[in-house]
Amino acid sequence: MTRNKSLIFFAALAAACLFSLAAGPAGWSSADIIINLRLPRTLAALAVGAGLGLAGALFQGVLKNPLSDPYILGTSSGATAAAVFCFLAGIERTSPVFFLAVFAGAFGATFLSYWLARLAGRLSDAALVLAGVAVSAFLSALVMLTLTSARERSFSLFYFVLGGLYSVQPGVLIASSLIILAAGAVAMARWRALDAMALGSENAYHLGVDPERERILFFALACAATSAAVAIGGTIGFVGLMTPHIIRRMTGPSARVLVPAAALGGAALLTAADAAGRSFFSPSEIPAGVVMALAGAPFFMWLLWKSSRGKN
Amino acid sequence: MPVLKVTGLTFSYGPRPLIQGLSFELRSGDFMCVLGPNGSGKSTLLKLLTGFMKASSGSVKLGGKEAALIEPGRLARLAAYVASETSTPYDFSVRETVLLGRTARAGFWRGYRAEDGAAAGLAMEETGITALAERSINTLSTGERQLVFIAQALAQEAGLLLLDEPTSHLDLKYKAEIMALLARLGRRGLAVAAVLHEPALARLGCNKALLLNGGGAYSFGAESEMLSPERLAAAYGLPIDSPLLP
Repeated sequence: MTRNKSLIFFAALAAACLFSLAAGPAGWSSADIIINLRLPRTLAALAVGAGLGLAGALFQGVLKNPLSDPYILGTSSGATAAAVFCFLAGIERTSPVFFLAVFAGAFGATFLSYWLARLAGRLSDAALVLAGVAVSAFLSALVMLTLTSARERSFSLFYFVLGGLYSVQPGVLIASSLIILAAGAVAMARWRALDAMALGSENAYHLGVDPERERILFFALACAATSAAVAIGGTIGFVGLMTPHIIRRMTGPSARVLVPAAALGGAALLTAADAAGRSFFSPSEIPAGVVMALAGAPFFMWLLWKSSRGKN
Repeated sequence: MPVLKVTGLTFSYGPRPLIQGLSFELRSGDFMCVLGPNGSGKSTLLKLLTGFMKASSGSVKLGGKEAALIEPGRLARLAAYVASETSTPYDFSVRETVLLGRTARAGFWRGYRAEDGAAAGLAMEETGITALAERSINTLSTGERQLVFIAQALAQEAGLLLLDEPTSHLDLKYKAEIMALLARLGRRGLAVAAVLHEPALARLGCNKALLLNGGGAYSFGAESEMLSPERLAAAYGLPIDSPLLP
């Protein structure tokens, strides 16, 4: 990335943070609101966005598929389903068991989508998206079933499932941020393997990369980042899909710069989306997940249209 | 010591063997073409040689060591492979793509060193794509992209170069250019094996030929001997006076 582009990039991140700190009916008037309400929320949006942006870049690279992201592959649904079951089982959101369960849900759902897509023989972009949709739909139905049968607690769970960044517990925020940082660091330490995988597993193998091993490793890293993001903010889609596409235009496709830049870009994108949800429809609030879907779904359609014309 | 030594290699997709008891060896400087009708196992053979696919029995030795026991990083320093077509949705530049040929030498983490840049530069020069270095590989013609992946394989600095139909989808000029390049690499001391679709191309520099007849039957030997009209006619199921035979 050139120096000018880096400047624009960090300026966008700073602007998103300022927007988020200022967004709301009270504006800049109360320091108390800014420090106690908006600052934790801004930090939560940054962490969730970074986790999802990172996961998107890893999935898109290791699968050589520009349509993949944790939402579309079912990773987020798997994590959300596991989180909802943990809530109902009374497992604390700060306990390691909760994080392990959410990770297991994410990893299980992702591998199920991948395995289903592979059943068709050659792994095609479309088969992967279809398998992800099937897995997501099933898991979402399970979550809805659980929500309707657990009435007394379902209101807060409903907001969690929609994807929102309210009332973040500091313990969860710190644990998730550390997981996302660690996943990002390990991924950056293997950037060249990810680049080789982006040329396809056959090419990667002959360049000296073990494709099976790297696939499991990068799935695990992406699932760790996604589950940490879901633990804070529930199901938020399209951050992981959109961010790498936008960032690639600035940095090029190499994971060496793309991976950290996608994490920062995802952080900026979600922070801005959450702030927009709080300010544009004030005094009512739109969950960040809904704002992202409003922006992301048309983006996904555009990507489909572009890939159907064979010029991604 | 041969660069590649294959003994009793056997492989099947179903109950009928595709490759059976195949044995041959390549030495430094050999340029071998692999010929045979569709479905005779030419492409499969190359993937068996690098271990990308597993043979049911037999042995493949690279530089004297059993290929199945060599870990991927080391394997990539012994043998390089160019697929018939490699595509990616991402706009990697030609230079980035060729530099990825250094993966096995540079590892996954560190940046590229001067020696990596030099190897990639030399590979691009050898394949005549230096002028394309900053272009996205997705903006190139099929022939140019083929050259990029040959350059990537050369940057690996392996002693054995395997190519799966490097000339398919290309016009005659590109076919001749790529064959001349491979012959030049052979003279420089590499062992080269290329799957070819057209027997006539083997006349452009090959010294060895492997003829797969399908169902496991094969013959291996000097190019001049293997490319006799009788053998080719039998392998491809053509009349001996067919104008398609060289």
